[in-house]
Amino acid sequence: MNVVVSGTGVVLSRAASAVELIEPGPADAPPVEPKDLIGRKGLRYKDRATQLAYCAARAALRDAALVDDDGGLTVAAGSVAVVVSSNYGNIDTITRAMDTITRETAAAGSPMDLPNASSNVVASSVAIRFGLRGPNLMLCNGATSGLDALRWGANLIRAGRVTRALVLGVEPDNEAVRAFVGGARTVDGAVAVVLESEEAAADRGVPALAALGGAVRGAGLAASLAKLDDAAGERPALWQVPEADALPEGLLDGVPRQDLGARFGLASGALGILQCAAAAGWFARGGAGPVYASAGGDADDASAGLVLLRPAAA
Amino acid sequence: MSWAVTGTGAVASVGRNPGELFANLCAGVSGVGKLKGFDLSRHEAVFAYEVDDRPETGADVPRRATALLIDAIGQAARDAGLDERDLSGVPILIGTGLRELRSVELWQRDGIEFPPQDLHFGTALREACNADDTHTFSNACSAGLYALALATDLLEAGTAETVIVAGVDVLTETMYGLLERVQPVPPERVRPFDRNRAGVLMGEGAAAVVLTRTPAAGQKAHGVVRSVAVNCDAFHVTAPDPVGIAEAIREAQSRVGLKPKDIDLVMVHGTGTLLNDEAEAIALADAFGEDADKPLMTAIKSMTGHTSGASGLLNLVVTLNALAEGRVPPTVGLEDPVDEAAGFRLVTGEAARAPLAVAQLNAFGFGGVNAVAIVEAAR
Repeated sequence: MNVVVSGTGVVLSRAASAVELIEPGPADAPPVEPKDLIGRKGLRYKDRATQLAYCAARAALRDAALVDDDGGLTVAAGSVAVVVSSNYGNIDTITRAMDTITRETAAAGSPMDLPNASSNVVASSVAIRFGLRGPNLMLCNGATSGLDALRWGANLIRAGRVTRALVLGVEPDNEAVRAFVGGARTVDGAVAVVLESEEAAADRGVPALAALGGAVRGAGLAASLAKLDDAAGERPALWQVPEADALPEGLLDGVPRQDLGARFGLASGALGILQCAAAAGWFARGGAGPVYASAGGDADDASAGLVLLRPAAA
Repeated sequence: MSWAVTGTGAVASVGRNPGELFANLCAGVSGVGKLKGFDLSRHEAVFAYEVDDRPETGADVPRRATALLIDAIGQAARDAGLDERDLSGVPILIGTGLRELRSVELWQRDGIEFPPQDLHFGTALREACNADDTHTFSNACSAGLYALALATDLLEAGTAETVIVAGVDVLTETMYGLLERVQPVPPERVRPFDRNRAGVLMGEGAAAVVLTRTPAAGQKAHGVVRSVAVNCDAFHVTAPDPVGIAEAIREAQSRVGLKPKDIDLVMVHGTGTLLNDEAEAIALADAFGEDADKPLMTAIKSMTGHTSGASGLLNLVVTLNALAEGRVPPTVGLEDPVDEAAGFRLVTGEAARAPLAVAQLNAFGFGGVNAVAIVEAAR
């Protein structure tokens, strides 16, 4: 079964669409204000990761015509899975609640923090806000987490559990995260794509923005790229590189590179989905040929790869 | 379809391997005790079901979840005849509610070193087992069975011959402390489905199974996984919805053409909270209809505490033993069932003996994430 991207939602300070990932706004753009995008309703007590996710989820669901102008679902609630990837989503809640216990006692904690102390709060909150009743998954899987989330979203569709999956990556920027990751600024945003069986998207009259090719995983970036070559059978036109201090020499020499982490900030668990949306933007701007997305370098526990194809070639 | 379980591993407060765990549960041994890793002056509640593996009581150490996980995976791999030092190429799916967040708490409070890449379990599993296809799912208290569902999809698609599925959790002080805020009287133990239950207490543990498409000739199987249904209530961040739960139960049964009357044993989620037990009982009564009084039911959280992401797979390992031996551990502390569960055959007092072929396992989590599995005895 072919799986395609039938919608994207991009919520970053420098980009509000897939195409803007290719042509971003100024580097000093102000941080995203969720209330300006989706109103204040329902944002109270939600951590920043969840608020950003709401914005990207709505944008992607609209782009894929899965919600109408009133916000109602246009498809069966159980036909949509939610797969979210984030490594640092609730680090702020954990550190703040821990600090309260240490400085005062557990009795001083806020019960409103309880749902946010569970790492799956983003995925389930998105499902609740948009009424998505399919399987609900939260991946916190390190550097490869975003590409892994795309793979699991596609698996849920291929296994016949759902027809489509909202796959979303988010990393918030705040003091707690900065301290935890050693000072780096994250993307402080969310990116979502709707994956759908090619047939279902066509039946709904929704154009495919990209198609998913082979997905690979393994120890080491070079080995992962070799597997991608086998899966694609074609030299890539663009290589979306992993977030790493330095890439080894001699990998895909001559192939143009796209370093989204360097452009938008530490993407971590959001990287793979950011790459997928950027590939859709690149295709929309006339890019052809396969795109290789890579996440996880030689310093990480594994490297994941995904081939993204221009929809006509799927 | 059916997928053979060729290896099992488990560690919990009441047992360090599947055999010891099952024997203790059947004997009604509870793992409850006073908190061993927190500063007691910070908490009103004092009880939990912890694994007693800290160097000294009162002083916590980081990476305990990782250690329990590696222990359980090692047990399961050895049991299945796999080389636990080289699991490269074998997908390892890990369900967890709280990842290594306890280590993040210790980093925050004490300034211990804890690099971001240790937050998920892949880094340690690469080091310990040379694993390179690991997936940490943070799916609250149904994470273990959610991971099991995804594993069956991999096997069905033929993209893997063998998959390891594991679940793990240890106490985090923030979750423990925040639960104190929503439970007016601190519980002294977990009493699933009892009218006088006071709420949930966290437990610690890990469990792992090796699932195989086709066992090698002569290889023993502990039992088979038939189906796992997963869905989401899309209802509330902490409160469960009987409608979503009942749908998951029906789907798990119908995926393999079974009816409620075919189920011999239900391993309930049974957390002992006011909300869960009521919602679960309503859903079971609805989904089973006139056959709600047929299967035996029990809740091992009465002895393991709520082990969150590990609980579904601890239940699975216990279930495989129960099916093999025809013996069901009791729900300790259950004396006066709630009205919604009054018609159920809940096992209380002593372990029950009965011929058992088919079991259903329930797991539900914060955010309304539901997973229900159907498991059969080895034939």
